[in-house]
Amino acid sequence: MLRVRENRRALTRRIEVARVAVGTVFALLATAYWYIQIVRGEHYFTLSEENRIRSVKITAPRGYILDRHGSILAENEPAYTLHLYRRESRNLGASVDLAGRVTQLPRHELEARMQRGLRDPEFLPIPLAENLRIEEVAAIQARAPEHPEFAIAVSQRRLYRYGGAAAHALGYLSEATPEQIRRARQYRLGDWIGQKGVEATYERLLAGTNGERRVIVDSHGREISEDNRIEARPGQNLFLTIDLSLQQIAEEYFRDRVGAAVALDPRTGDILALVSSPAYDPNWFTRRVTAREWGGLLANADHPLQNRALQSAYPPGSVFKVFIAYGALARGLVDPEWRVFCPGHAPFYGRTFRCHREEGHGWVHLRDAIKVSCDVYFYNLGRRLGVDRIGEIARGFGFGEATGVDLAFDRSGLVPSEEWALKKRKARWYPSETISVSIGQGPILVTPIQIARALSGLVQAGRLPTPHLFLAGQDPRTGRRLRYTPEWKAGTPLAAEKLAIVKEGMWAVLNEPGGTAYLSRIPGVAAGGKTGTVQVIGRESTPRPGADLRKLEDHAWFAGFAPLDDPRIVVAVFVENGGHGSAAAAPLGKLLLAGGVGKPIGPPPQPAPSLERAGFSPAALRGGAFRP
Amino acid sequence: MIRRVLPVPRHLDLVTLGCAVTLSILGILFVASTTGGGRLQGLATRQALWVTVGLAAMGAAVLIDYRTVLKLSFAIYCLSLLPLVYLLFFGESIANVKSWIRFGGFQFQPAEVAKIATALLVAYVFENEDDARLKAAALLKLCVIVGIPFLLVAVQPDVGLASTFLPILFVGLFFGGLPARSWIALALIVLVLAGAGWLVLKDYQKERIGTFIDPEADMLGAGYQVRQSKIAVGSGGFFGKGFRAGTQSQLRFLPVQHTDFILAVIAEEWGFLGVILVLGLFAALLLRALKLAQTARDRGGVFLVLALSGMIFFSVTMNAAMMVGLLPTTGIPLPLVSYGGSSVATTFLAIGLILGVEYRRFANA
Repeated sequence: MLRVRENRRALTRRIEVARVAVGTVFALLATAYWYIQIVRGEHYFTLSEENRIRSVKITAPRGYILDRHGSILAENEPAYTLHLYRRESRNLGASVDLAGRVTQLPRHELEARMQRGLRDPEFLPIPLAENLRIEEVAAIQARAPEHPEFAIAVSQRRLYRYGGAAAHALGYLSEATPEQIRRARQYRLGDWIGQKGVEATYERLLAGTNGERRVIVDSHGREISEDNRIEARPGQNLFLTIDLSLQQIAEEYFRDRVGAAVALDPRTGDILALVSSPAYDPNWFTRRVTAREWGGLLANADHPLQNRALQSAYPPGSVFKVFIAYGALARGLVDPEWRVFCPGHAPFYGRTFRCHREEGHGWVHLRDAIKVSCDVYFYNLGRRLGVDRIGEIARGFGFGEATGVDLAFDRSGLVPSEEWALKKRKARWYPSETISVSIGQGPILVTPIQIARALSGLVQAGRLPTPHLFLAGQDPRTGRRLRYTPEWKAGTPLAAEKLAIVKEGMWAVLNEPGGTAYLSRIPGVAAGGKTGTVQVIGRESTPRPGADLRKLEDHAWFAGFAPLDDPRIVVAVFVENGGHGSAAAAPLGKLLLAGGVGKPIGPPPQPAPSLERAGFSPAALRGGAFRP
Repeated sequence: MIRRVLPVPRHLDLVTLGCAVTLSILGILFVASTTGGGRLQGLATRQALWVTVGLAAMGAAVLIDYRTVLKLSFAIYCLSLLPLVYLLFFGESIANVKSWIRFGGFQFQPAEVAKIATALLVAYVFENEDDARLKAAALLKLCVIVGIPFLLVAVQPDVGLASTFLPILFVGLFFGGLPARSWIALALIVLVLAGAGWLVLKDYQKERIGTFIDPEADMLGAGYQVRQSKIAVGSGGFFGKGFRAGTQSQLRFLPVQHTDFILAVIAEEWGFLGVILVLGLFAALLLRALKLAQTARDRGGVFLVLALSGMIFFSVTMNAAMMVGLLPTTGIPLPLVSYGGSSVATTFLAIGLILGVEYRRFANA
């Protein structure tokens, strides 16, 4: 026994060393845990809370857009997205197979989406297919027991009931661009935001305020329970001034024409119809535009995305004559009985200017000059006024400035003056140009909505309403309404008896034989109007070889109002390359004016989906309850 | 005190036994905490079954004279290597490695048994080496005995599991009396081998080591485990979030939490106190075992206790360091606590052998 112990002295010493070492290692480990749990404990506790609590956005339902009578133009519908939770999948290949069988999407596309999704954190689902049909949703749900990795996410998608109807007034939704996200903090990538139209103008009103749910999730990102919830505030329902039946009349007319039309209630500035043709279907954007569709839209030579009612500025042609006549009367620069002899042409500044009627109109005074649109009369009147006074008159009707409409791309057009010629054009104003401008040709540019606003000002003796699409906003929960307060600009006033002469001339255009729009007279309705025709190429020149002859046709204008006393509707119609104003533009003017005074011509428009379906009360909004 | 009430044999060491049993009960408790509900339900019952099996093996190891076992150690060693060789050719891959043998509903890791057998054979070798200095022949034997199972497991390929054989080698070298010069030479060899090993390592293993060096580099892959484990441990604070109330573990942010990462679960739910409890029990067990080694009646017994304690010490410290990112995750379970039948049963067997050495301290040959 003793021998054994002696031999073991070295061993015993080593074991002592080992005991110290073991004790030290354990002490070090305890120190490490102390550091992490006590010193850094709070930090890691925060991290563990961030791990388990996830904030999920509750998207506020976007407000509906309705016409003035409560027909739903834009609403929301559920959209289904197929989500794949990859950690739940036993075999990703088999999952993709099933998704392919159900959705009929090509395998390579699904694979590509999968690859993109695999780069995201594991707890995020991979969106494999959007906009599932209801049968596809059912097919996926039926396989849920064997395929727990699939989930159907429901979101709201914008639905424009009438496709392209009032597309340019409505605008469309698309995913917020990085720049928009920078400007408005509340948007995140993938959020939908209004682009153009009232969807953009009233984005904040329509969008409402998103809510938030704080949920406890497991490591798969699957929700375990809800921690906290802030409800979303739904967006307001937006009632537009648009009258869907008038809108549809105008759109039907423009089915195979290019151009624009605007109908206003001159008393309030309500836009009753706003058409730009060709249009687009805003639903395309909500269903994600494919590159091909975008290409088609952008490549279309007629630019469907452009809102011609606001963006197309053209010379007003003879429509301008009524404003000249009004302006000259208001300034006392013309006697209504002053007569001019029209032989079909007249010389000014060493050049012969022709009247549109070669054989001439004979002796004409102001009323008849408007009725027959005598160029020679207005050449003489224009020469008397001079360009600067013509410009002053034009500006008095809101030409040369934005109309203030609640839409983007509100162009101001161009009103000439001697100063403008020198400053912008860098060439002096030639007196002969004044002769052209006095019949609305040459360097003067106006938009259809400017014409509609100007005519509204004219029929109201100088009260220029601001055109607008906003009629009312309604909180869908409380029913509280936000009403539009009409805005005005004071133009040039005119005594009633003198205004009557101009209006009578315009009445004669439609209602007396020899009036330029006599063919578009409306039985039983006292309406007034004025046609215009804008030359695309000079009368004497010949088109270049190879030019698109259709594009060389004249542009057609019509501006009108009804009824004669206290007008309720003013229209401006512009048909690009339509030919003569009386033949191409006036017929639509007739339809709109008739519809606007409640005597529509032709079959009634298709019944609109009712407002009650959407669950709110329209009673208070009907029958022009919002008119001042 | 217990001895006054229960007829406990005089030389059965209650400190070692108590620590081991307490740890295994903690294990069952936390396996139950992390596996309630879902597809893992019932694992705690299974763990309890394995603890029972382990206790039986421990009892047998105490009752059978370890000196008899040491004499048979070469045969035991050879027999224990057979399944490893079998795995080499017919192994079924589970999680990339072929280290399991399946029978019925159970899986078993033969490497765990091989470790015990290796420790036995090493102890047997040193029984007859009574020099203060390690002789070349003994060194060679030691290297071969540990080297064979090490390589067999390393090619499975499970380097983590293979590394658990190294403490046996280390025990032999250190307590056998390897001179200082040789330690320096050994360090150089290890460096060279490490360099070579880097070339041989599988990609996922390199990734883990890379992750250890820079955990932020791969936040959602291998770095995810380390990060989530540190969050679990750190968020436990001093008192912990409460039993079954750990968000990291209950919401399954922690990977393989009932096996390798069970200490992180304890740290989260019972806080620093729980960690101190577990580490304290292990420290007490090991320090006690070293004390027993000092008083063992023969060199075979001393080395048996040292080799087995070394194994346990290595696994505990590796595992505990893994949880807080001090060492790369290598898949080494926490002995007695982590879920896993082979590990629990063989650790109890090891405890039984340690107790057996003490039990026969005064017995006559």
